[in-house]
Amino acid sequence: MTDTSISRRGFLGAALALSAAAATGCTPGVKGASSSGASVDANASKPAQLHMLYATAEANSAAVQALLPAFKDKFGIELVMDTQPYDALQQKVFSEFASQSTYYDIVIVDTPWAPALVAQLEPLSQHIGNSALNDMADVDVKDFIPKVFYDTAVYNAGDPIKHFPDEASPADVAAITGAGFDIYGLPLQANAQIMAYRKDLFTDSGELAGFKSKTGKDLAVPKTWDEFVTVSQYFTRPDKKLYGTTVMAGVGDWATDDFKSMLAAYGGQGRLIGDDLSLAFKSPEGTAALQRYVDLINKYKVTPPGSTAASWDEAASLFDSGTTALTMNYHALELDDAVKGEIGYAVVPQEKTRGPHFGTWMLSVNKYGGNRAWAYRAITWLTASQQQLTMTGKQLHPSRTSVYKQVTSAQNKSEAEFYRVLGDSLAVGVGRARLTNYTEVSAAIAKAVNSAATGSAAPDAALNTAADQVRKLLTDAGYKVPG
Amino acid sequence: MTDTLAAKPSPTVTEKPEGYGLRPRRERKGETLVPWVLMTPTLVLLALMTIMPTIYLLRASVRNDTLLNTNGRFVGLANYSNALTDPTFWHSLLITIGFVVVAVALEMLLGMALSLPLAGERLSSTWGTTLLLLPFAITPVVSAMIFKELLNPNYGWVDYYLGQLGLPAHIEWLSHPTTAWIALIGLDVWQWTPFVALILIAGLQSLPGEPREAAAIDGASTWQMFWHVTLPQLKPFIAIALVLRTIQAFKTFDYFKVMTGGGPGDSTEILNLAIYRIALQSFRIGAAAAIAILLLILLSLLVPALLRGVGRNADPEEA
Repeated sequence: MTDTSISRRGFLGAALALSAAAATGCTPGVKGASSSGASVDANASKPAQLHMLYATAEANSAAVQALLPAFKDKFGIELVMDTQPYDALQQKVFSEFASQSTYYDIVIVDTPWAPALVAQLEPLSQHIGNSALNDMADVDVKDFIPKVFYDTAVYNAGDPIKHFPDEASPADVAAITGAGFDIYGLPLQANAQIMAYRKDLFTDSGELAGFKSKTGKDLAVPKTWDEFVTVSQYFTRPDKKLYGTTVMAGVGDWATDDFKSMLAAYGGQGRLIGDDLSLAFKSPEGTAALQRYVDLINKYKVTPPGSTAASWDEAASLFDSGTTALTMNYHALELDDAVKGEIGYAVVPQEKTRGPHFGTWMLSVNKYGGNRAWAYRAITWLTASQQQLTMTGKQLHPSRTSVYKQVTSAQNKSEAEFYRVLGDSLAVGVGRARLTNYTEVSAAIAKAVNSAATGSAAPDAALNTAADQVRKLLTDAGYKVPG
Repeated sequence: MTDTLAAKPSPTVTEKPEGYGLRPRRERKGETLVPWVLMTPTLVLLALMTIMPTIYLLRASVRNDTLLNTNGRFVGLANYSNALTDPTFWHSLLITIGFVVVAVALEMLLGMALSLPLAGERLSSTWGTTLLLLPFAITPVVSAMIFKELLNPNYGWVDYYLGQLGLPAHIEWLSHPTTAWIALIGLDVWQWTPFVALILIAGLQSLPGEPREAAAIDGASTWQMFWHVTLPQLKPFIAIALVLRTIQAFKTFDYFKVMTGGGPGDSTEILNLAIYRIALQSFRIGAAAAIAILLLILLSLLVPALLRGVGRNADPEEA
């Protein structure tokens, strides 16, 4: 008779082994072969489906979803699109790449994530040069807005902190690869901070006369920060629940983004941190920019209550509800029906120069995926000029110069004005520092902005505290910070 | 009869019942397998959900791994050292402890105050107890979003009704550290006091009535009966509520993420926000694991201490 009893130790060992097997078996066949980008077969058989991981409203999923039937007609492939809200998307994207999952062929990538992800993305320079892979759409990289293209998609995978040295010229694949960089996606949904204002107030005869009477000047959309303050002060009427402008000074990326735009306007490095890891935000320009920002709240008092706890959601709600005459945001704006007003748009004001914060999503090919040739074809089609133009019908923010040329001549004047301003803002915009822990760094700077805005620290002291924290964060993440 | 009784040895002095001796009964083959087989699903689940993640966490805490970097290396206690020498860690730890102490203390007091009238077997008590369930039936993140809107100084109900009552009506709740803490603790107390109250109601309803009747006959006042009779008997339930709420409060994340993001400044930057940012936004798994282990150690020391403190003489028979 067989001895069926087992020892306790043996049993526990077996149970742990079983657990380990179960754990590793949870993702069967998940690992894909790594790729250099050179091994894509243009003649690979057509899959029945392609899987794309995409954002929700943050990257206007509705616009892309509207194109899916046309995609199927064109490719004969079903593009299955999974959408996730921002935080969940980031975690999903990173966990997919950490497990070298083959499931998603196409992944949307936001610029703060790209420095950590770039080694997981398919480099596209060779695909762009391969005519057999460009049979579904014209990739025409020169048509992308240069700043948007270089900031979003061009990386040196060996040293991802670096930006391409010439971001003003139209994209040139040979120049990119010649400088040791490559292209890791195609930009779509380009967001920039723009100024919106209540056009109905700015054209109201009573307001025009009132402003003239009060300031001796004609009421006009502000182009400089001094003008911005004057106009904001004029419209601030707390007894009527009307204020000059919103700010997004709550602790979060929004405060950093507000500060970034002002830092660039005051002649500082709008990326906050240089490619050499210099802490550019801690500078005389940084202090001056933050002082002006704080003055809007505490000295001129042109912002509504709660502005030091506001995010872009609250800022948009305040403007939409008619509580402010001006706002700076990259949130979609739409005045409430009860306001009975009209929105106008303009590039954010300048001081010495201007450099509104921008950030663009890109569609990238999963380098572990099994359908890379078709995934590449898909992203060339989705980001092509014609498709982007179609998606502007759903308020997509295009990334191509040619699309802006067409939409700014559209019959809908409000829409044309919005796109003209967005295009102009993207052309002069400033992106983020390329750090694997940008979110932590951004949080430290946001706390400094908020501390100054709430009056608990002077701007200079707040930035000094942030600099100490950022230096430690960078060191902890493995960077060698100078000085 | 007498002889029979006298001849029967006492089992409690010289002999132990079968199976209770120093030498265990020799088990038949296969007999030991049955309980282990029955326990297998639970043990596998425990191993998968608790033991393996803990081992992974410990391993990660002594390495400099990031989620996407497979070339992480052993760094000894460097992650712990980094955390323990970082002033922001100590700031976050202290305010986390402060939040737990204040919020849980308020919840225990209010929970007790609610439980006493609701413990009686009356229709109104049944309705009251049912209503108590509502706050903690709401997802914490949803509660936080609703509270944030209610506290909005431009259109929120809280400032509006304060104004209607002639009280200061222009409070920017989330813009100042003191009012932000009042809002956060207020939300936590609103959501979790019913949980404490329900545990204590169950405890009160299970207490024997005789000691209170005896005290009443002896002329004890209501306060004396509560303080000297009911409260000591209730200690096991208080201990359960206190320990559960303390552990839950240390895990609080949603309210802070939604309502303040750690602000104003870093005044509400609790440890879980830092762990979230490091682990799930920068994916520095090693650094986050070290902080999580430190929090785990703190909880492991705190919970037995709480149980010893509150649970002393908690046995109703000894009270």
